[in-house]
Amino acid sequence: MKLLALAVLLATAYSPASALWPQPQSLQTGSSTLRLAPGFQITVAGRGVPGDLLAAAGRTKQYLTSDKLGRLVVGRGADDAHTFAAAKTLSRLTLSLEKGASFASITNEAQKAPEERDEAYHLVVPADGSGASITANSTLGLFRGLATFGQLWYEHDNTVYTISAPVTIADKPAYPYRGFMLDTARNYFPVSDIKRTLDAMSWVKINQFHWHVVDSQSFPLEIPGFTDLADKGAYSSSQTYSLADVRDIVSYAGARGIDVMVEIDTPGHTAVIAQAHPDFVACAEATPWASFANEPPAGQLRFVNATVTSYIADLFTAAAKIFPSTLFSTGGDELNTNCYAVDTPTQAALNASGSTLEEALNVFTQKTHQALEAKGKTPVVWEEMVLVHNVTLSKDTPVLVWISSDNVKAVAEAGHKLIHAASDYFYLDCGGGGWVGDFPSGNSWCDPFKTWQRSYSFDPVANLTDAESKLVLGGQHLLWTEQSGPQNLDPVVWPRAASSAELFWTGPGGNISAALPRIHDLAYRFRQRGVNAIALQPEWCALRAGACDIDA
Amino acid sequence: SLAMKLPALLLALAHLHGVLGLWPLPRSLQTGSSALKLASNFDIHVNIAHAPSDLGSAIARTKSFLKNDKLGRLVVGRGTLDSNVVQRAGSLRTLELSLAPGSPVRSITDEARLPIGTRSEEYALHIPADGFTATLTANSTLGLLRGLTTFEQLWYEASGQVYTMETPVSISDSPAYPFRGFMLDTSRNFFPVSDIQRTLDAMSWVKMSQFHWHVTDSQSFPLEVPGFTELASKGAYASSMVYSPQDVQDIVAYAGARGIDVMIEIDTPGHTAIISAAHPEHIACAEASPWTTFANEPPPGQLRLASPATTNFTADLLASVARMFPSSLMSTGGDELNTECYVQDPETQADLKASGRTLEQALDVFTRTTHAAIRAEGKTPAVWEEMVLEHNVTLGNDTVVMVWISSANAAAVAAKNFRIVHGPSDFFYLDCGAGEWVGDDVANSWCDPFKTWQKSYTFDPQANISASQAHLVLGGEQLLWTEQSGPENLDSIVWPRAASSTEVFWSGPGGNSTTALPRLHDLAFRMRQRGVKAIPLQPLWCALREGQCNINS
Repeated sequence: MKLLALAVLLATAYSPASALWPQPQSLQTGSSTLRLAPGFQITVAGRGVPGDLLAAAGRTKQYLTSDKLGRLVVGRGADDAHTFAAAKTLSRLTLSLEKGASFASITNEAQKAPEERDEAYHLVVPADGSGASITANSTLGLFRGLATFGQLWYEHDNTVYTISAPVTIADKPAYPYRGFMLDTARNYFPVSDIKRTLDAMSWVKINQFHWHVVDSQSFPLEIPGFTDLADKGAYSSSQTYSLADVRDIVSYAGARGIDVMVEIDTPGHTAVIAQAHPDFVACAEATPWASFANEPPAGQLRFVNATVTSYIADLFTAAAKIFPSTLFSTGGDELNTNCYAVDTPTQAALNASGSTLEEALNVFTQKTHQALEAKGKTPVVWEEMVLVHNVTLSKDTPVLVWISSDNVKAVAEAGHKLIHAASDYFYLDCGGGGWVGDFPSGNSWCDPFKTWQRSYSFDPVANLTDAESKLVLGGQHLLWTEQSGPQNLDPVVWPRAASSAELFWTGPGGNISAALPRIHDLAYRFRQRGVNAIALQPEWCALRAGACDIDA
Repeated sequence: SLAMKLPALLLALAHLHGVLGLWPLPRSLQTGSSALKLASNFDIHVNIAHAPSDLGSAIARTKSFLKNDKLGRLVVGRGTLDSNVVQRAGSLRTLELSLAPGSPVRSITDEARLPIGTRSEEYALHIPADGFTATLTANSTLGLLRGLTTFEQLWYEASGQVYTMETPVSISDSPAYPFRGFMLDTSRNFFPVSDIQRTLDAMSWVKMSQFHWHVTDSQSFPLEVPGFTELASKGAYASSMVYSPQDVQDIVAYAGARGIDVMIEIDTPGHTAIISAAHPEHIACAEASPWTTFANEPPPGQLRLASPATTNFTADLLASVARMFPSSLMSTGGDELNTECYVQDPETQADLKASGRTLEQALDVFTRTTHAAIRAEGKTPAVWEEMVLEHNVTLGNDTVVMVWISSANAAAVAAKNFRIVHGPSDFFYLDCGAGEWVGDDVANSWCDPFKTWQKSYTFDPQANISASQAHLVLGGEQLLWTEQSGPENLDSIVWPRAASSTEVFWSGPGGNSTTALPRLHDLAFRMRQRGVKAIPLQPLWCALREGQCNINS
């Protein structure tokens, strides 16, 4: 008798009627069933509607019919069917801009500087069958509303419905930068994998793709005027990103409300440049690699050499032209000083100029950053450029904190804007064991595995003053790909990377127990849309919210 | 000075690149350094009267792989530098398969299903450097299949030529252990038949001999058992998430043709909560709360083992399942029995009182009855280690015991003179290291850390086992419990890691993980060419430069 009562209690207390991810800032739901009419339409009010908004509405309509997601309850929604006959039907969703706002493409809105993007929207779905509406100040806001609308619906027996009407949502992000980083240099990913990832990112309102496109292992990016780097440094001629590929990726992202911040990591992580320009790289493939780099192969730009500095400034200028984002990462992590100590040309150049390595790094950084600023870019750097080195950076330079969340405070105290990317919360590759050879006892350096719960519990303003807190732009999950390729891209990333997407959209402090059924729902919907999000629990648990909690 | 040192280094490394990409490594292998290409009209001939059809199918698959693998050698340039040598090389026109005189001619399937320890998997493979006929001989069609698998791994493709760089090749090979397995749990999350078949293909490529199918558990009962179909109709996740008798036949036949025997497991008396969906009368503490009191994971629920009706029901169920599977092995489980569940179950307490037995005595009766039922169907029972190490039950001497809790427990099982299959969580559990999956908890997985292929590779099957008990070790398996797995990450979590133990148990322990790494890369790349999503173990830069990403390179 006790057990039966418990089961009923669980069903009513935990079963989410709606499973939105990220959770909107303000959400009111009812308990009426509402069906989608067979001829359901999405219309956009006004003239001069941009093409990417119409395309987005078209994709949303497509998901409504093709998702075919059964509710995550025992019976997968069969018990809802008795409410269908009496339910009203929804025939129309109307998108409109707020008074005074004018149409610009989603792409243009998404490619603005992070703080200038307007992603707020209002969504109303009445229970009586009268039209639903999304209103926003920008097409980007309308697009975010469409992503929310697409998550409201379930399918049973060819009926697309919600059991939570009416729905009233007022929503906007807590942080302007919500990203995902992919490394395409350790292992290569075809354009189709990147596009599928961009789709998945857009479904959880991630707005920034941080593309760590090159590294010491390979240089897959074809940059006009610098194509020798990919010709000689890509893994193969079929493993490159052509100019057309870049344009394709950038426009695909833009149409999905995502800005692409490319990273050309310098002056470290550049061994592969030696393939085309051996004179530009110190300690290229030197051994033992452990003396010269954090991972093989060793090799860093001879930044003391003025020719190298000019070359990189020109390379940045050329790369900046093919990426419309205001942000451009110049890297700056893991610089190995021993590499330069034993590099004869570097030592000769330092002697000739009478400067120290740090002074030379300052000159290199200023010149290469100026080249980007001349193209309208804001440089972005990894934390060492602020915490380890003595270089002059504009305070506008956002800093990616990766080594440890403990370092956030110091970056904020230095007065820099910052992006959370801490390995102890957001590194998706941790916990897969060591990958370096001849080291059978090696575990990954950032063990253990970062669960979605771990990332979800992150506090973006921990230990920060109110003034310092304003420097936080947001954050991101990251996939370094020493042990990843197209084979495990989806399973390693999803649904885990959605954890930070909610954190930085909805704000911190979410409850993992309440979030679990929603993230299950998201993972199941991802699978329906062709992204291989992994199971977080046995399906038995996914269909019984709360029943597999530790104290259930 | 650095600049001068580097070319010398590269030259030295280039010489290392000759290692064949065979996995598992044959026990005797001689190779030369001559290139040999496959003739465009290359064919495989069988010198066997009335050759079984599954051998013909295996040959057809081999020919297809030779053509479709299109695997470039894992060196910088992917073999394009080989083309001059290959142009001038001889051409191989024929591989001839024959059985040793007097060998029985049986199907691969029949050979693979012989009792464990009586299967003949040895073979000899010779490929001359001059292009004359290559030969593959064995004492059984199963041995021929193993040899074909080796043959397929010898070839690379560049510029439209299929070739090897290391003839002549002379191989004499046989497994160190007969049980080389992989276990898949299809109850925590469901896997379509196509996923299982793809996994069986990959298993056969590394000469695995045993698929251990943990088909049901407390979460779902996807197996449609004749006479007991209510268990699946009420206990499967959905009507589309069921293995029908036809599916089972397909899987068993698919496995058999690939030299793999299917050991089914119906885990009893624990791990059976789902049976309560159809038969609440047979299950104690079904979905009781708090689950932590009654089970190691939700939902709790165990067979009322003290009940004669439940015992008979289980015996009949197991007998019916036994008739679906041709293997001589069948696992009855027996892990993680929770006694508190029975302490608090009034029905069990009444049954014990009525019979005057203790719980352990009742468990003994239950086990003897259910084992007798499957023995009557010709099966040898397999059990998890607790049945020997924690409980006081009478088991047949030939019972196979699967060690899972810790590798440290193998010696104790051997000391009791039972045959052993190694499946220890500290070496072979593929699910470890991905974090706690139980809700409302931020923790690591119970068997942290992640078991790397290197860790599995260092396993010693005879550790702490005396010479007189050495023969008790049948082999071992890597295992995938699927609380956090589904079709979405099956390949990526299993491959190439699960190939690690198969080399331990085929080639024998003591392998060097440093020299194994390039071969395992080769295997992973070949698996990808064949549609199995084996993950990268390193950046491609490392995979193409043997040794250069070692810790001390």
